[in-house]
Amino acid sequence: MMAGGAMPGRTIPQPVEAVPETAPPIVELANVSKTFGQGRQEVSALEHIRLAIGRGEFVTVVGPSGCGKSTLFNILAGLTEADPGASIRYGGQPRAAKELLGKVAFMPQRDLLLPWRRVVDNAILPLQVEGMSRAEALKRAAPMFPEFGLAGFEKHYPHQLSGGMRQRVALMRTFLFERDLTLLDEPFGALDALTRSLMQRWLLEVWQRHQRTILFITHDVDEAIFLGDRVVVMTARPGRIKLVLDVKLPRPRDAEIVTSPEFIQIKRQVLAAIEEESLKSFQQATGG
Amino acid sequence: MRSTFVPQIAALLGLLFLWEAVVLAFNVPAHVMPTASAVLQDIGTGAALIGRGVARTLLETLLGFAIGAMVGFAFGAAFAWSRALERVLFPLFILSQAIPVIAFGALVVMWLGNGIWSKVAIAAYLTAFPVTVNTCRGMRSVDPQRVALLRSFGAGDWRVFWSLQVPFALPSIMAALKLGISLGLIGAIVGEWFGDTVGLGILLLQAMYMENMPRLWAVILVCGVIGIALYALMEAIERRWVWWRPEL
Ligand SMILES: Nc1ncnc2c1ncn2[C@@H]1O[C@H](COP(=O)(O)OP(=O)(O)O)[C@@H](O)[C@H]1O
Ligand SMILES: [Mg+2]
Repeated sequence: MMAGGAMPGRTIPQPVEAVPETAPPIVELANVSKTFGQGRQEVSALEHIRLAIGRGEFVTVVGPSGCGKSTLFNILAGLTEADPGASIRYGGQPRAAKELLGKVAFMPQRDLLLPWRRVVDNAILPLQVEGMSRAEALKRAAPMFPEFGLAGFEKHYPHQLSGGMRQRVALMRTFLFERDLTLLDEPFGALDALTRSLMQRWLLEVWQRHQRTILFITHDVDEAIFLGDRVVVMTARPGRIKLVLDVKLPRPRDAEIVTSPEFIQIKRQVLAAIEEESLKSFQQATGG
Repeated sequence: MRSTFVPQIAALLGLLFLWEAVVLAFNVPAHVMPTASAVLQDIGTGAALIGRGVARTLLETLLGFAIGAMVGFAFGAAFAWSRALERVLFPLFILSQAIPVIAFGALVVMWLGNGIWSKVAIAAYLTAFPVTVNTCRGMRSVDPQRVALLRSFGAGDWRVFWSLQVPFALPSIMAALKLGISLGLIGAIVGEWFGDTVGLGILLLQAMYMENMPRLWAVILVCGVIGIALYALMEAIERRWVWWRPEL
């Protein structure tokens, strides 16, 4: 049962496969499941994921940790094959996961900067992998440093930076790798609340300026609603899509929006869905 | 950085002074232990000869080290790349190291002659083993998440190797190189014992046959200085170019 159904007058939850009608989706997943291990150790991480993302959308995925969010990203980035029977269409073409390697800009949960490369050389790494010369890649990257709050730090090494700055280097690296789809896995998870809220607003600006399609993972409900055009709520393991909500809050969004009635209404729906799930898994665990 | 060498030099001078004082105080006969001053004096009078020996032995050491390092790197990388290859070849490596290098000395001279290359070969042989082991271990320990990140950029095996595995393994390779250069020096000196006319190893043999105590100690001292200098060189290279530690 969807939480919104019991609350008339609220934003009606969209069917899970809802896609904006205006543009054909960039990526379409159907029946994507993933099982790790075999026999007794078998872990079902994802079950029958169905999701479509349109060009220019900012979609956030929220769910408890361990529910398979990172696994979903690994599949979309081409790093993990989904179980047989899955359908992944990217740019309208059906694809095996590994055909997506090099086609999706992926930012993993950890910044994964290379300690022996300077900030600038970390940022341009994907361009060099593409075969661009260092000189040209540097030219491309140069104007982005001020935008990412890294002006003056080009020549530093990662160990000389704060956590927030390292994260911005990783983000810049991801944005320099211009692809139709950008995946961000809890990019602000390790930041303090203040930095996090600054980074959220900054990310929205960058997203609007660069016109990217973003799929963004978080376990923070506020963050998911604040950033997203749509919020995808996942259940605890095995990860399934519980609910997809359209967030019709006006953009540009400022910090106060989190106290607006519309925001709180959406938040209530998300929390209700998560609560219902947690209760279910709690009852399963206690045999009640 | 310069100032950090001051205590070492002071310690060395102190040791020489102590040596001199002990030999004089206990009246140790010169054929048992010469005074430090006699040894230093011998270095002065034999400077031309010793200098030629140093040049030769150093050349053998550095050539052997360079070749051994490259061979070790190649094998280490190959082992890291293929477990099957490692399973087949690595036991042979262990076996070859279990036989003392001296046992191969005569063989190497018969194959490569009495010239510089037989010494280079022995130095290379000693250097290659630790470099192989550490290259393989360093490359195996590469962070899989970073490999995945590079793959998501579309990187192929070759790119992952040069941009990730090699830099990741470098600190561990560097540790092997520091050991390897000392082993290379030993290899060069021992190699000279199988026959030659120049080199520090030859000077050691000559001093032994002639019971020339000051010369023997002079060459020992020079060997020590070269060993320390080579090690310091590797340390300097490490500090300058391989300063990072892999973050996992
Ligand atoms: N390579 C793997 N092998 C086995 N189990 C895995 C692997 N990757 C993830 N899992 C399991 O799948 C589940 C989902 O993990 P993950 O996608 O990282 O969750 P999230 O990102 O939502 O916290 C977890 O229970 C995890 O233990
Ligand atoms: Mg995760």
